[in-house]
Amino acid sequence: MSWTERVRAAVQVEGQQLCRRWRALLLLTVLPLAFYFASSGHNPQAPVIGGIALAFSLAGAAIFASLAARAVDHRLVLSGYRPIELLLARLLVLEGYGTAVAIAFSAVMIAKSDPARPGLLITGVVLVGIVAVPFGLMLGALLPSELEAVLVMIGAVGIQLTVDQMARVAKLLPFWGPRQLLEGALGTPISTAHAVETGLAYAAVLLAITFALANRRLRIASHARPTVQPPIA
Amino acid sequence: MMDASPSRAALEANRISKQYRRKQVLEHVSLRVSGGEVVALVGENGSGKTTMMRICVGLLRPDEGTVHAAGQIGYCPQQPALLDLLSAEEHLMLFGAALGLPPAVAIETGRAILSDLRFRVGDPTHAGELSGGSRQKLNLALALLGDPSLLMLDEPYQGFDHGSWVSFWEHVATWRTQGRATLIVTHVLPDPTAVDRVVELTVPASVSGGKPR
Repeated sequence: MSWTERVRAAVQVEGQQLCRRWRALLLLTVLPLAFYFASSGHNPQAPVIGGIALAFSLAGAAIFASLAARAVDHRLVLSGYRPIELLLARLLVLEGYGTAVAIAFSAVMIAKSDPARPGLLITGVVLVGIVAVPFGLMLGALLPSELEAVLVMIGAVGIQLTVDQMARVAKLLPFWGPRQLLEGALGTPISTAHAVETGLAYAAVLLAITFALANRRLRIASHARPTVQPPIA
Repeated sequence: MMDASPSRAALEANRISKQYRRKQVLEHVSLRVSGGEVVALVGENGSGKTTMMRICVGLLRPDEGTVHAAGQIGYCPQQPALLDLLSAEEHLMLFGAALGLPPAVAIETGRAILSDLRFRVGDPTHAGELSGGSRQKLNLALALLGDPSLLMLDEPYQGFDHGSWVSFWEHVATWRTQGRATLIVTHVLPDPTAVDRVVELTVPASVSGGKPR
């Protein structure tokens, strides 16, 4: 069986598990909406707050997906999966879900807030999702406790929401690029290309760290490697 | 079905030592399991049975010593490693894909194994809602999927009712006649003939203050 078939099987399972966590997903989706609607009446920055708050939902979903599979991943690798295949499947499902939610959420904010540059708002919110998923996966790989992982995530997203965007610390946090885009959507002059590149670069670095952590945690001794496994390429 | 001959070692672990932080868990432990042989790994709590099993399976690296294994490994961990939101058949498809089995074959083969283990075949209940014994049966079935020649089972019958426990040891006898090599961590044997050899682990002398047996 080829690596694509193994990834397809893993994607199917990840999708099923995600759908079966629908109550948690519903709550996670309502959370950024609550942030947005709580501030939309009086704060012109409401789309920025709502957009960044989406990171709570998507990074949270990624943390739960990652930690729920922690005990099983090692056994799956022993059976023949490669760590990168399991990570790829999780990433595809969560990014797919994240993009769908981001587009729907953007539509709500565009309808209510009428931003100066709606295209930038959609790009910014989608980029929040693109960064939030690897951020959550990395926390799930790094911290074995749900509580610890969630607290770090809340801390990082919360600081990104509250700190002055020109401050040095803001530029070091994961959602600086998407936040720039959301500010740009409201009329602030920004470099769109730089913001997108920063967000994508951050996502790539987070993914690389996640993969390195997963590879280290899931490595098995050479005598245990399944002998019949087609090459990945 | 199995190609391991009774004389050939399917698993050979030599002088395995392992420390956790500064605590010596295993000290120069060796064991050998051949095709058609059942070896019980026994010992008091904290004697390092699960650590030894994880080293033999390849999930943990020893500080010293070597492990050689031949053939495909079927591993049943002590704690069921399952995804709580998936049914038994969804587990079979997921693990089957890793083993190169098309979904239909994985389900058909897995159903036969589960039926042998007295699991209610076709039960759509998610693993997280199954009883402890049923979870353990699914855990064991996943180890048997793909027809492995080397079975490493870490207390695989926890939560089994008496009938399932008796049936489990009947299966062990069948695996022996099929030529599989089987290593079982166990506290209870139905009778002395159920296994070919017993390897007893003791708390290392450096920890207990006594001499190794």
